[in-house]
Amino acid sequence: MKRLRGLFLLTLLVVILPLLFPDNYYVTVVAVSAALHAILAVGLNLLMGYAGLISLGHAAFFGIGAYTSGIVTTRFGLDPWSAMAAGMLLTGTIAFVMARPILRLKGHYLAMATLGLGIIVQIVLVQTEELTGGPDGLGGIPPLSLFGWEVDSDLRWYMLMSAVMLLVVWLALNIIDSRSGRALRALHGSEVAAEMMGIDTTVTKTGVFVVAALSASLAGSLFAHQQAFISPDSFNFFFSIELVTMVVLGGMASTFGAVFGAFVLTFLPELLVIFEDYEVMIFGAILMLMMIFLPQGLFVGLRDLLRRLLQQQRAPAPAPVVPAGEDKHDAA
Amino acid sequence: MTLLEVQGLTKSFGGVTAIADLGFDVPEGQVYSVIGPNGAGKTTLFNMLSGIYHPDEGSIHFQGREIIGLQPHKMAAMGLSRTFQNLQMFFNMSVLDNVMVGCHLRTGSGLFSAALRLPGVVREEREARRLAREALSFCDLERFVDQRADALPYGVLKRLEIARALAVGPKLLLMDEPAAGLNDTETAEMQRLIRCICERGITVLLVEHNMGLVMRVSDRILVLDYGTRLAEGTPLEIQNDRRVIEAYLGGEVQYAV
Repeated sequence: MKRLRGLFLLTLLVVILPLLFPDNYYVTVVAVSAALHAILAVGLNLLMGYAGLISLGHAAFFGIGAYTSGIVTTRFGLDPWSAMAAGMLLTGTIAFVMARPILRLKGHYLAMATLGLGIIVQIVLVQTEELTGGPDGLGGIPPLSLFGWEVDSDLRWYMLMSAVMLLVVWLALNIIDSRSGRALRALHGSEVAAEMMGIDTTVTKTGVFVVAALSASLAGSLFAHQQAFISPDSFNFFFSIELVTMVVLGGMASTFGAVFGAFVLTFLPELLVIFEDYEVMIFGAILMLMMIFLPQGLFVGLRDLLRRLLQQQRAPAPAPVVPAGEDKHDAA
Repeated sequence: MTLLEVQGLTKSFGGVTAIADLGFDVPEGQVYSVIGPNGAGKTTLFNMLSGIYHPDEGSIHFQGREIIGLQPHKMAAMGLSRTFQNLQMFFNMSVLDNVMVGCHLRTGSGLFSAALRLPGVVREEREARRLAREALSFCDLERFVDQRADALPYGVLKRLEIARALAVGPKLLLMDEPAAGLNDTETAEMQRLIRCICERGITVLLVEHNMGLVMRVSDRILVLDYGTRLAEGTPLEIQNDRRVIEAYLGGEVQYAV
């Protein structure tokens, strides 16, 4: 099936990597956090890339999910899976309630409002010490287990996190390729025309905001159980910005672009460690160069480049020279 | 039968009155044109009819129902669709997807069934694709199906907007300057297309500056001046109306009909 070719390729990659490098640090540790970031980026991409609504506070939903899982399992003794569901229920509700006032805003104002949301959640996490442990964090979060299969090793976390990432990618691809997905893209293209086509733009915006928040909450719960310890710092403003960077760097409005962006931004700092003091500077320079030379995003840019090269190889004889766009005008 | 009934419509922006106490009836199954010099209030009128602006006073009845205060998507659901003077394409999508957005109301799957791609969704996609292709071929656009909208020339985009609006399945189609920026050949094609739309039983409300086109294509014409009704009648009546010739055209004009 052509529609899911990319997903099959990604699945293949995920399966082969640990077989080739079973005990490699980059596979069992870095790739796990890259997969976690990919879950977040794919959700955020639905909101930002497809619907054209920016969020600078996405880490808030990640944090609400993580803390709900952490608090509910450590303080109320609920099992992790119910805790995860509770986290998603809470996050979904908050997103639903916040969506209406926030998503009325556009552009910079929406950016400010989501930024505010992120900061408020951050402050709540720090201040409600009795519940969250405050700035010292919350520890002793139990590990996950799936029908008796304990997720207790790095490799098992790799399997679980990758599986969830593939599931989220599949869900996102399905959404984009549907009536609802077209409504999202239409909203981005022209809100007034979308309304005239019968799309209830308020409902559509709320829907995508909730879906993005739910995927962040899911990622948050997984993160809490994987780390066993969480602190407010993991859910701050800078992490929100990092998520936005992943989406933009990979290529807006491309699900695999978001996955790619998440992997690049997770692996790059790890690989740059050899530069020691200059690590952050080189990291910044690479980001700038990427955006200058591949403004449509790393994934989208490289994919188009590859396609062009393949086409040239298939047709080595030079095609008759036709000025660009001429046939197009004839057809008009 | 009257499809659209406008009474006492008034709208002002700040101190400027764009539309003042305007009334007219659009009969079903006809091409009804609104003409008038720039700033006469034509686009303001269209924006009120499609729910983008709310009038200060007056009433708009569509199929006997008051539609003032309804959101545009509710109006679309009632069978009112429109095109825009300045193109409002979804440039981030393919031609087919643009028109499939128009099928939004004729399909009904939600976000969650779409995410799981339930069998009903697949069936619905096929149906939406069929409806969209039908609208595209009606507007003679089949050969552009898989292209991205932002790669198309202006004249094609004008027709694409119409195809998208038709995919909604409207009873009334509001067309805001469909021939603006088109050459003579394209204008002739547009004229044919407007008549074809009308023959399908869709009432057309047209705003257009190209007088030749308006005179050839319209069943009735409303002339606006400073937001008020100057004259109304058949193209022949309008062409011979002394007030129209004086106030709007500034002298005698011979049309190439």
